[in-house]
Amino acid sequence: METFSIRAANVEDCKDIARMIKELAEYEKLADLVRVTQRDLEQDGFSKNPFFHGIIAEVPEQHRTKEGHTKIGYALYFYSYSSWMGRAIYMEDLYVMPEFRGKGIGKALMSKVAQLGLAAGCHQLNFTVLEWNKSSLDFYLSQGCFDITDKMGYHCMRCEGEALEHLAQP
Amino acid sequence: MDYKLRKAEPKDVSDILRLVKELAKYEEMESQVTLTEKDLLEDGFGETPFYHCIIAETQEENSSEDPKVVGFAMYYFTYDPWVGKQLYLEEFYVMDKCRGLGIGSGILRHLSDLAMKTRCTGMMFVVAENNKPSVQFYKRRGAEDLSQEEGWRLFRFDKDSLVKMATPAEE
Repeated sequence: METFSIRAANVEDCKDIARMIKELAEYEKLADLVRVTQRDLEQDGFSKNPFFHGIIAEVPEQHRTKEGHTKIGYALYFYSYSSWMGRAIYMEDLYVMPEFRGKGIGKALMSKVAQLGLAAGCHQLNFTVLEWNKSSLDFYLSQGCFDITDKMGYHCMRCEGEALEHLAQP
Repeated sequence: MDYKLRKAEPKDVSDILRLVKELAKYEEMESQVTLTEKDLLEDGFGETPFYHCIIAETQEENSSEDPKVVGFAMYYFTYDPWVGKQLYLEEFYVMDKCRGLGIGSGILRHLSDLAMKTRCTGMMFVVAENNKPSVQFYKRRGAEDLSQEEGWRLFRFDKDSLVKMATPAEE
């Protein structure tokens, strides 16, 4: 039986987190959008006022990948707020390396995020999924969530780059 | 009628809740608001705030009356592991009678400026697709619809599902 452990991420994990962020982006066919570096993660996640928190899934040395990795999954989350219901937790990333899927690691990572959210008084856990990502959609729906984009027609919007600069002009 | 923008203070929580409920009513979701003034106070003005708020106030010229709170924006900081810090606009509302005075644009300008000053690479928010005036308002200002363009769908676990997920499975 293969074992794994789930623990809070620390600053030394940023190299592996950066690696897995890139792997997840490749899976999502959007790898060229990744700009954040290991150093950004160290500063943004592990300074006095972190902008995100991480959870790492690790396997023992004897189960390491052929490249030598024992950190084989992660989740990134932060606290958010609903103007209707109050405290909420947002799961930004959830990823398990392909060869370690189907062992309950993804579920365990998500369960940890849920536990942390409840402990902090949160009423909901939100996240986004790509519409074509059927295996992920099936996994999440089987865990009891619902599709707000479908139910309420909510679209995620962003203003960035020139549009943001333009908006900021007096 | 002139308006002023300022940071919310603890005394503003009853106006904030009033405006939250007004907006929920406009979206026909008033019964969904379970937030209380106590929550707003604890969550916005404690040691680690879950949200920040900008208030828009108007005051009649030469009036001795208190300024009136006529609009607000609720926001917090989030993180996109691909591009970094984001400013997330959770709620944004100007009372009906005060529209067309540039208050909405003023709030957005203030927040965009704040986003840039705090090194956010973007400002994010959610709009209901059938809220055509709001969708136009944002698209006119250069907002991208990530749901439409990249296929992102927003999902949620509510409290009951969260509790189920947090409970370890029986071996």
